[in-house]
Parts: sequence; structure tokens; C-alpha cells
Amino acid sequence: MSDRYDLAVVGAGPAGLTAAIYAARARMKVIVLDEGIPGGQVKTTHKVSNYPGFPEDVKGSDLAKAFALQAERFGASIRRAVEITRHDLAGPLKTFVLDDEETVEAKAVIVATGAKPRELGLPGEAEFKGRGISYCATCDGAYFDGKDIHVIGGGNSAVEESLFLTQFARTVTIVHQFDEFQAEPASVHEARENPKIRTLLSHEPRAFVGNGSLQVLDVEELKTKERKRLATDGVFVFVGMQPRTAILEPYLKLARGGYVETGEGMETPVPGIFVAGDVRVKRFRQITTAVADGTIAALSAQRYVKDWKAA
Amino acid sequence: MSDLVKEIGADQFEQEVLRAAQPTVLDFFSTECPPCEALAPKYEAVAEQFAGKVRFLKIFRQASRDLAGKLGVSSSPTLIFFKDGREVGARMTGDDIKRSALKAQVEALV
Repeated sequence: MSDRYDLAVVGAGPAGLTAAIYAARARMKVIVLDEGIPGGQVKTTHKVSNYPGFPEDVKGSDLAKAFALQAERFGASIRRAVEITRHDLAGPLKTFVLDDEETVEAKAVIVATGAKPRELGLPGEAEFKGRGISYCATCDGAYFDGKDIHVIGGGNSAVEESLFLTQFARTVTIVHQFDEFQAEPASVHEARENPKIRTLLSHEPRAFVGNGSLQVLDVEELKTKERKRLATDGVFVFVGMQPRTAILEPYLKLARGGYVETGEGMETPVPGIFVAGDVRVKRFRQITTAVADGTIAALSAQRYVKDWKAA
Repeated sequence: MSDLVKEIGADQFEQEVLRAAQPTVLDFFSTECPPCEALAPKYEAVAEQFAGKVRFLKIFRQASRDLAGKLGVSSSPTLIFFKDGREVGARMTGDDIKRSALKAQVEALV
């Protein structure tokens, strides 16, 4: 026996949960599947300042909870910490096997699996992950109380999470490959004013070195090609994201960078598969753009399901 | 909180982990850590599957700074696997710990 839904949403980030809100309000029977807890990348963002409706900053984890509560209020079923161990999304009826023990069917699916932090792929990175290298400031910042740490990257995440890390660390040195930061000017200004933050521009990391724990960040000054060994207590890496598309690979050809091309209605070439959020090919990836994708995907899926036939 | 996952303090590490007769998994967790919250139900599910064969413990990092430092743990969650008083296998950390991968690694312990 398996449960049949009108719509399965894979991924409970802003895109997926918005899709669930719209679909559940349209009286569709909706299940949301997530490998962790709801919120996607937002849940580990320490504060969100540009999401409309919140005149004061909102904690990412609070925003994530609010998205989930709203979807559940309209009847969407959110399944937390489940792994899709098998799936068949090719035909009219989409099937998902959860943790090898339960089968769920749906007439349509919205894949909103988002993206995960990109790793640098440098020597020593795998060895020292969790032993000095981290990808989540809210999770691991407190480990570096009074320490001297480095942040790799120069975009919004790198600069904003550096500011957050100054609550704990004695110094935070931002290592960035370009001459200037790509982050929003407001955050860059705040970082420049912060006495704990130092910057190392035009430098790129080359290797992580240590004995049991990370001790040295090996960098290259890009203009002079000079290599420098920087003593460090820890390194946080924020160098962009990598789309999570494993579930789509059997059914769709991925575009450049592993993202998924969709039509204006978030539809894909496979009938009944819709895609929303950061996993899509698009120019800007923000909470607000994810939410917009989720809305459009849900409205498209609603029309699709109305005319759905089993074969 | 289930009975299958027991919380210990740093002072119990030697007795509960190093001198344990059975293979033991230790989870360093923190508060304000969504990946830790996400891991908890998977950890319990695997603990249930291996009940009686492998022990599943957790330890609150904020209260165990020295031990975390000694073990070189700088990230939550971190899972460390022990057998016969020694760490074995690769550690698992971060928000991408899959239930199937955890199960496979525990299977290798028994």
C-alpha cells in the first residue's frame, strides 16, 4: 500500500515551502520531503535583512520555522529527515521510496532541492573538515571563542557570516580572490568598520595543513604569485553553492554548472516534473526569488494535476 | 528523547566510550545547530536498528569544550566511531549526513 498525493515537493526550503503553501491552499493533497529539517539554506543564515515584511532583521531559523508552520496550517504534510532511496519520476504517476521502507505516489512533483555549500576541492580540505574547516557559521562559530580564524570568499555569505563570527572569534581575516568584495555595499561597509575583521584581497587558498587539527592556511597572493603560510585556528568556507540535482539526473539533461533549465511556468521537458528555487538556471538566487519560483511552480502544477490522467 | 540514544558528559567519556565492550558511536552536538536537529531523528532510527549491538551516545559540545578540543572536533554535528577503545573509520560531519550512509558505516563496525 502506498499513499497517493496530488503533489510531492522535494526540498523544504523557501521555494518548496512556498509551493506547498500555495498548493495546499488550493486544496491539493501535498507532501513535502526533506532530508533534514525545513528551511533550506535559510535555517543556517544567522539573520535575514532583505525579506519583505520584516522591518527588523529576522533570524533565518525563525523565518524557516514560520514558512513550515504556514504550509502545515493549510494541510501540507512535511516529512522531516527522510531520504528518498528510490524514485521513478518518468511516467504520469511519480513514485518515491522513503528510507527503503515506505512508498509515496504523486501526480506531480516540484523539485526544490536547492544547493549546498561548494567545497574548494583543495588538498587537506576533506581531512580537516570538522577539524578546523567549517561551512556553517551558526553551527560552529562558538567553537572558535577567542580564536583567530579565516573566512574564504567575498560574496554576501562570506561577509555577513564574518560579521556574525566576530561575536566569538578574536580576529576574522577574510581571504578573497578579487580586489574588492562582491557582497552588498551595506555589509562590506559594516565589515570594514569592524575592528575584529581584517581582509586579505587578491589572495587565494591553496592548501590546508595541520597535524590532527588544522593549523595552517596556505594561500597565494595572485599578483606576485607569492605563497604564504598563515597560522589559523579555523577556516570557514563560503564560496558559493552547488545545486543538488541527483534526483533529476536520470530524467533530465542538466545545463551548465549542473542547474536545471525550466520554462516560464517552472515546467521541465518531463510532464509533471516542475523545478523551483536555487536549483534552476537563473541569474539571481535570493530567498525572494526562490519564493517566486515556488509560487509559479505550484500554480503550474495545480493546472497540470487538474487535467491529470493515469496513462 | 528516546532511550536508545544516551547523553553522556565529558567525565564519562573514558568509561562509556573507551572502555565500552560494544562498538560505540558518539555524536557531538550543539544548540542553535539546524544540522544537529536534522541528524537527531536519523541517529535515533539507526540506533533502533542496531539496538543491542552498537551503542549510540551523544555529548553536548558546549559543556565539553576540553574533550572536543582534545579530539580535534570543531564542527557540529560530528559523529565519531569507536571500537575496542580506538577511533575507527571516517568521522561524519555537517548537514549532509544521510541515514543510509550512517547505517552503512555502523554496519562496518559490527
